[in-house]
Amino acid sequence: MAQSAPARPRPLEGVRVIDLTKIVAGPNATRMLATMGAEVIRVEWHDDRALDLLRGVRPLAPGGEADSVNRSGLFNNINAGKYGITLNMNLPQGRDLFKRLIADASVLCENYSPRQMERWELGYDVLSKINPGLIYLQISGMGKSGTYNAYLSVGPTAQALSGLTHMSGFPEPMPPAGWGYSYLDHSTGYYGAILVLAALLRRRRTGRGCYIDLSQTETGIMVSGTATLEAQVTGKPTDRHGNRMQAAVWAPHGAYPCRGIDEWIAIAIQNDEQWAALVAEIGAPDWTRDARFNSAAGRKANEDELDRLMAGATKNAERYDLMNRLQRRGIAAAAVQKADDRCERDLQLKARDYFVPLPHSEIGTWDIEGFPAKFGKVPIDVGGLPHRGAPMMGEDNDAIYRDLLGLTPQEIATLREEWVI
Amino acid sequence: MNTQALLSSALAGTIVLECGDERGEFAGVLLAGFGAEVIRLEGKHGSNSRRLGPFTTPDRNPEHSLCFSRYNLGKKSVSLEIEHPAAREALVRLAKQADVIVDSGEAATVARRLEFYREMQRANPRLIVCTITPFGLDGPYRDLKMTDLTHLALGGVMASCGYDPQADGTYDTPPIAPEMWQAYHIANEYAVIAITAALNFRELTGEGDCIDLSIHEAVSTCTEVAIPTYIYNGAVVRRQTGRHAAEGRTRPWLRRTSDGRYVKAFLFWGGRDVRVITEMLNEAGIEHDLESESYRELHRRSPSEAQAHFSAMIDRLVASMTAEEVFHRAQAKGLLWASVRYPEENIDDPHFQARGTFQAIDHPELGRALSYPVSVATDGKERVTDFTRGAPRLGEHTLEVLAGVGFSAVEIAALAAQGAI
Repeated sequence: MAQSAPARPRPLEGVRVIDLTKIVAGPNATRMLATMGAEVIRVEWHDDRALDLLRGVRPLAPGGEADSVNRSGLFNNINAGKYGITLNMNLPQGRDLFKRLIADASVLCENYSPRQMERWELGYDVLSKINPGLIYLQISGMGKSGTYNAYLSVGPTAQALSGLTHMSGFPEPMPPAGWGYSYLDHSTGYYGAILVLAALLRRRRTGRGCYIDLSQTETGIMVSGTATLEAQVTGKPTDRHGNRMQAAVWAPHGAYPCRGIDEWIAIAIQNDEQWAALVAEIGAPDWTRDARFNSAAGRKANEDELDRLMAGATKNAERYDLMNRLQRRGIAAAAVQKADDRCERDLQLKARDYFVPLPHSEIGTWDIEGFPAKFGKVPIDVGGLPHRGAPMMGEDNDAIYRDLLGLTPQEIATLREEWVI
Repeated sequence: MNTQALLSSALAGTIVLECGDERGEFAGVLLAGFGAEVIRLEGKHGSNSRRLGPFTTPDRNPEHSLCFSRYNLGKKSVSLEIEHPAAREALVRLAKQADVIVDSGEAATVARRLEFYREMQRANPRLIVCTITPFGLDGPYRDLKMTDLTHLALGGVMASCGYDPQADGTYDTPPIAPEMWQAYHIANEYAVIAITAALNFRELTGEGDCIDLSIHEAVSTCTEVAIPTYIYNGAVVRRQTGRHAAEGRTRPWLRRTSDGRYVKAFLFWGGRDVRVITEMLNEAGIEHDLESESYRELHRRSPSEAQAHFSAMIDRLVASMTAEEVFHRAQAKGLLWASVRYPEENIDDPHFQARGTFQAIDHPELGRALSYPVSVATDGKERVTDFTRGAPRLGEHTLEVLAGVGFSAVEIAALAAQGAI
């Protein structure tokens, strides 16, 4: 009988990540590493001060025990593919076990508040002596070095400071619209993963570990586009422009109302041909023959009036129908989709198997958001090595303490009784 | 501009060929920051982004585009027309020595070129090819026309961003697309995760791969609680001014300061917040009744009225100071507040200067340097990524790169005569 080809290794085969992250930004980074095949071990503790707040954040899976810390849908989505253990880092015994875990780890990720690790005497200077090859990713709002190193931050703080909040919304006198969620919790996750993946490549070549002090605010500055450059050239402060395009003479360019309650379509006209096609599709109403709209420059110069008229032209259309009709004419147009639309109506996400059903040991099988790329050969899995959703609190204590640290069932039971694990 | 940054040689020796349009240019910047040699194959007329603003001069000179400059930092430019028949031999030689090809644009265009890339992979099995297209290379939406705006619409970001509804719950303002091409940022960050994961995979196996990245899926992953809220509770979050979209209406976070700016001042409504705000009001000499029996009575009788009253007191506190004063004083008290800065205000901030967040890079046409955001992390002291060169002039490295793969001056002249460079 012909032998089947051996399975290919995952990109991070053999990479063990000790994960002391909480909330969203840090766990997003380790989620990426789990997807790429790292053995990610979440280290948590369950008294009120140490508990990851996200475990109690809505939405909660229906049913089950009301006080369970295993039912948060957001937690499940962001921590899929990881193992979970409990460890009381406030006890010397707990810190000793932690050091034993670090000794055989490749990567440590943590986003405790500033100086917590030093208070435990677990800073990079200590841990790198135990494991010189360790890659230690420390995530904080502002960064651990610099003059704001003691400042506290969550996603919205970093978004405000970085300039991203300011650059969303209509110009004054309207306030900024900002971001309706912690965008920089996502971005920090992406950059955290990128930095670790790059550091692993460096270590493969040099054998050297390193310490990386990732600043959430700086991830926002990194994606501030051309704004900082333009302000340096013009000397004028950055303004905001609603949904309009500033980098090119594109108009109309915005979100326009459609039939229904709070239904919208985004349309981006990039040239005269697309404008002509749009005019034809909306039935060439009289106003489209206004000389002001004959050229891209004219449309751009009269965008307030153009947007008002466009809103009148779209308001009775069904948004997906209009999207399809405009797309058939080669126009960039898309329904403004809410979450229910993406889950129920988005044929592309369905066709590409974007949602991945993964089992969870307490709440059953739920759809998890996938990784947005398909690989030809590289095996990846958002369910990670355990191929499941997020771990229950301490779900893998027995297996991890037995297999990684060689503890006996009796020793594990004692540690439990002594409130160490 | 020599670099000793911790990770600026993580990808040293890695050659990246970059084709396509503005949708895939940011990935190359991030890879160049890790020391990869990124060769932008932009054709004789240059990348699309050379025609996108802002510009340093009013004549919209393609050499003066800050858009191109931002998204091509650290790259080399070769004017090769990649689909010109005479360019084939040059492409073959370049692809034979390359580690990564990044291509972006409409799926049909990229898919056509993918045939060639696959052929090159047979000659160079270590080659990693990453395509960045609106929807990936298959699926029913594959060929829809998209821009950053329409991606943010279809991918769900816009539905969470914007302004409060009116008192009756209906919206009179559209959903908002945060500026600066965030759809492309998100997609390119994922592309770099995928590419660096594939490079790690190649270290284990010696094999390259093809990565098919969908911008739509990338954006769709980036809406935090929106999808879990629908999946687990069947509910849809609603956009609100300057704060998180939520199922129900929440209290404002943005508050006006004495200098006409904004701060993001949010609270967790615990006793500590009340104590700290009371302290700050006292220190600012602002009359208040938060320590009075009447306020305590209001709190007992109607917590929501008490919160509204408390919020109004915070408005008065914030209105008595500049945005920067609020930011620093609140942080000194342990509040997670920040000023809503213009992005350029961070360039001269001592914190970001100390961390090396920005790097001054020469602009010969301006006769001076501009500060670019180049790093999101430090090694404890210095930034971890930076650049040895700015963005290239069109075709600046054509001769150097073609000579590097064995083309003689006569052969290069022949390519020019045939219109391939």
